[in-house]
Amino acid sequence: MSESNLISLAVTILFLPLIGFFIVLLFGKRFKQLYKFEVGIITVALLLSIFTGVVKLTNYFNNIIITQFTWIDLGNVPSIGHLSINLGIMIDNITVIMLFVVTLISTLVHYFSIAYMEGDARFSRYFAYLGIFTFSMLGIVIADNLLMIYIFWELVGLSSYLLIGFWYEKKSASDASMKAFLANRIGDIGMFIGILILFTNYHTFSFQDIFQNIANGVVPFGSNGWLTAAGILVFMGAVGKSAQVPLHIWLPDAMEGPTPVSALIHAATMVAAGVYLVARIFALLTADAMLVIAVVGTVTSIFAATIALTQNDIKKVLAYSTVSQLGYMIMALGVGAYKFAFFHLVTHAFFKGLMFLGSGSVIHSMHHEQDMRQMGGLKKKMPITYITFLIGTLAISGVPLTSGFLSKDGLLAGTWAFADLTGHYLIPIIGFTVALMTAFYMFRLVLMTFHGEPRNQHKFDNAHESPKLMTIPLIILAALSIFIFYTPNPVAPSEGWFFNWIKTPQSVVPEEARFDFMKSDAHKVEGSLNKDVHGSGSENAAITYSEMYEHAMHKVHYPAMIISVIFAVLGILLAFLMYEWKKIDPDKLAEKLKPLYNLSYHKWYIDEIYSFLFVERLLDLSRFISWFDATVVDGIVNYSATLTRGIANITGWFDTYIVDGLVNFTAFISGFVGLSLRKIQTGKVQTYIVYVVFSVIIILLILRPF
Amino acid sequence: MDFANLHLSLSNILPEISIAVFLMLVVIFDLISHENKKLIPYISLIGLLITGFIVIIKMGITDSAFAVPSMNAGGMVAVDPFSSYFKLVIILTSIIVIFFSMSSKEIKDIYKRSGEYYALIFGMILGMMLMVSAVDLILIYLSVELLSLSSYVLAGFTKLRDRNSEASLKYIIYGSASSGIMLFGISVLYGLTGTTNLFEINSALQTTQINVFTLSFSIILIFVGLGFKLSAVPFHFWTPDVYEGAPLPITAYLSVASKAAALALLIRFIHSTFVSYVNDNGFWEMITVFDWQTLLIVISLFTMTLGNLTALWQKNLKRLLAYSSIAHAGYLILGLAVLSNAGISAVMLYFLAYLFMNLGAFYVIMLISNDNYKENINDINGLGFSSPLLAVPLSIFLVSLAGIPPTFGFVAKLNLFAAVIDANLITVVIIALLNTVVSVYYYSRLLKHMYFNKSEDTVTPIKVNKMDSAIVFILAGLVVFFGIFFNNIIEFVKNSAQLL
Repeated sequence: MSESNLISLAVTILFLPLIGFFIVLLFGKRFKQLYKFEVGIITVALLLSIFTGVVKLTNYFNNIIITQFTWIDLGNVPSIGHLSINLGIMIDNITVIMLFVVTLISTLVHYFSIAYMEGDARFSRYFAYLGIFTFSMLGIVIADNLLMIYIFWELVGLSSYLLIGFWYEKKSASDASMKAFLANRIGDIGMFIGILILFTNYHTFSFQDIFQNIANGVVPFGSNGWLTAAGILVFMGAVGKSAQVPLHIWLPDAMEGPTPVSALIHAATMVAAGVYLVARIFALLTADAMLVIAVVGTVTSIFAATIALTQNDIKKVLAYSTVSQLGYMIMALGVGAYKFAFFHLVTHAFFKGLMFLGSGSVIHSMHHEQDMRQMGGLKKKMPITYITFLIGTLAISGVPLTSGFLSKDGLLAGTWAFADLTGHYLIPIIGFTVALMTAFYMFRLVLMTFHGEPRNQHKFDNAHESPKLMTIPLIILAALSIFIFYTPNPVAPSEGWFFNWIKTPQSVVPEEARFDFMKSDAHKVEGSLNKDVHGSGSENAAITYSEMYEHAMHKVHYPAMIISVIFAVLGILLAFLMYEWKKIDPDKLAEKLKPLYNLSYHKWYIDEIYSFLFVERLLDLSRFISWFDATVVDGIVNYSATLTRGIANITGWFDTYIVDGLVNFTAFISGFVGLSLRKIQTGKVQTYIVYVVFSVIIILLILRPF
Repeated sequence: MDFANLHLSLSNILPEISIAVFLMLVVIFDLISHENKKLIPYISLIGLLITGFIVIIKMGITDSAFAVPSMNAGGMVAVDPFSSYFKLVIILTSIIVIFFSMSSKEIKDIYKRSGEYYALIFGMILGMMLMVSAVDLILIYLSVELLSLSSYVLAGFTKLRDRNSEASLKYIIYGSASSGIMLFGISVLYGLTGTTNLFEINSALQTTQINVFTLSFSIILIFVGLGFKLSAVPFHFWTPDVYEGAPLPITAYLSVASKAAALALLIRFIHSTFVSYVNDNGFWEMITVFDWQTLLIVISLFTMTLGNLTALWQKNLKRLLAYSSIAHAGYLILGLAVLSNAGISAVMLYFLAYLFMNLGAFYVIMLISNDNYKENINDINGLGFSSPLLAVPLSIFLVSLAGIPPTFGFVAKLNLFAAVIDANLITVVIIALLNTVVSVYYYSRLLKHMYFNKSEDTVTPIKVNKMDSAIVFILAGLVVFFGIFFNNIIEFVKNSAQLL
């Protein structure tokens, strides 16, 4: 396997789902069984990406494989020189990990959907949409430049719109898809401006070239402030896609889509794209930009967690928990815990995918009932779903021996170390609080759904364990939520193989704009990145942190672990006290804390606030513009149209009557004279000559050469 | 004249010789085979391909033919990338027009006389190829006449309907009048400078004092002859009638090839005779004897405005395209009015775009009109549904003519307007842009007829054979292709914009 073979493999993986999309979309109506083609093709993509991953991680462990080609050659541009827009593919370790995660979740969702979507009117179209969604997501994963990321980013936006609004007959579903689309657009505008700032300065979209330029000390418009702005603006795209405050509003509504879609979009792919983007641009983030990112992530995580406490819709709880966990990842990136952020992205993809599919299994068996107050006692009826769901819940709560414990504990330790170094202690405090809340609301969900007595006997009687097509994906994902897949030592992720696959990229930001702990140590070779950024760079050169950071990290590792376990257990205990042993009555508690409860239950009234602040004002504005359009603009247009018609009428009339008249007249004269003087008719051309002569005289008058 | 020089000169005019040889071959073949004239178009095609090949081989050469050793300036014929480019344009147009003629019902009806028909076309080609490289007033006049005489006959060639002959008659009367005026202008210019060679006239203008009024008068008279060929307002009166009356392939041919030749001639005439030097930015510093820029701007604005406004009211498709081609002539002259190298290459690019889209549009209309001579705008009602294979390419051509991306027409217009803006003629550009807006109306009206209007009687799909649809789709494909990948073609045109 040479490097170019790896690139071809990645391109094949990218285009397989697209082929599936086109074939199923075009012929799906005629051949009902064609969805199997899409399922097959995505399975092939999964196998290929496992293969790619194994080859990359064994043979080319330290290489970044990049291939570029020129898309548009703009030639020589004044004051810039030769300018061309290149597209390319980059394969590094996190690329192959993401390839595996995306194709795995996508494949499992495909199989799960065969059972879940059975009998749907647009069954094959659904699979076609899954295909294009997977294609778009894979494009983001393997892109080596911001432009390609942006293109596929928008494709993800489009395909998620199609999937969320798949049941477009339901008004709530079509509204939700619209909301997701619009909220994402707002973020994308910022992202686009950010990309343009970078492009205007470096004339390239490629990550490596941009990093190289910054590493050489060229900052946008000569100021670190602009570099911060570029980082934050590009991050805005992630705010939209990864549902960070204040653009998180689309994600809970997006639960209107089919549940397997929620698993795909909200666990492994679309929302992960934002985190992935920030990971990609991590090297150019300045200290200020990172702090902004950390704060946004922190606020998101606590904000969503408080809402998740009181929701009764099973999918809404999972939705807010997703937002909260994404906040975690963004926060981790902001505090520089790059490895743990990515680690958490992967583990979360598995256990959140598991829980979404598990909730799909529950909803399926309860005949599309999503309200947890109608459930209860399902563990006897659905043992496999229950056990796998429980494993997922333990993982997200951060109970030892699970994957979630490894990544979450490291992530919280990262925030603590950051606080030790910079003094931002509020971030770890909120982080640990969220861990407590997460454990509580997730166990609340499990207890309300699977434990206790059935609250709706009729629905309970009809409930049944889901078919194998649905339970096997659950079992696979539950298995992947166990620590052993990532590390042999369940308390030290850094001793595991998975953790070592991830390389923190070398920051290229000017020293004065970095956090102290990210400054390169004196004894390290200056600009070790500069040697070979192009082509097959070495990931070994990626040493970002000073020893100061390593030391701080080491110091807080075990305390953080102990505290997070204690908090998780506390949360779980609280949930059991309230919902299993009934020692505390949740309703009475809600009554006592009425204002807080309402705030949480009504999602902090964010939708209402946005509706008042933006939607209503926008409607006012559009009403005004439409009035302006109808009266002023249309008036002008109509007037000029009338004028044009008038002039045209005149010229038309002139041509028809005067010109043609004259011509016909001469023709008539010619014809008339021709009757008698057929042989000498060439002499009768006075009118033409008169015209030409007149024109000559007029031109002479205009030019006045005398 | 020594023989080495003659030999070189003959090799320089090899494309013209090749055309002349094939003209004779066509005539001879016509005489030999009384009944079977099927091969004649193919002979013509082979001739054009061979000539085109020769032109391409000689593309890079900059030289002149038939130079008189005693004079330091060039001879009668200039061979340079500019003329080669326009020769290629003419040959390309002719090839398409021969395909045109092979499938046109009008030309099929006069099958017996097709030998003459193709021979006359070759006569036109010869005239036009000499026009694009002539640098001597005598040769200019002769080549214009060669073109005109052949085209007069072709305009009335079919004699199937009265209006054929009417078109021909109007054309010949108008044409001879303007060519007479042009000859008068040439003789006055000769009288003033004592030479017919353009380069020598140039040096005469720079060195000797010449009566400016008489000079301007003669130039305007010469311009009349070229303006007639270009169908520039106010010398355009023949255009709609002739375009409507002539057989469709000839109309298409006149609207593209003879305009190309006349435009190239005008450019060369101005460049060789009136430019004292080209400055670093590529702008032409003119000898201050005549205000070419004002004349060209006024003519171009009048031409495009009248063409566009009058096209609004046309019901006949051929007449509509006739007025549209008048409007396009206006844009072309506008590019020349910039009087800079950038302007010239913009004109050349525009012409290439115009070639594809205009011939394409005429081709589709010819295919429609083959069906019972339908040429009215209502005849294409519902075409989008009955014959999508015709309607889709026609829509592409119309969109391109209107200058909407992603088509070649847009790229060409953008390039042209950019050149005009570079010359700081902002007002002119605004008028030209407004004109473009007007033109969108009548082009989109055709689209509306094709896709939104229901036909009154039941439409039977128009039968089109495979070769015709292949040609139409190739032209449409090129229009879109160059609308997206335009770097190389712009580069090619820029390299070709080198005059002797």
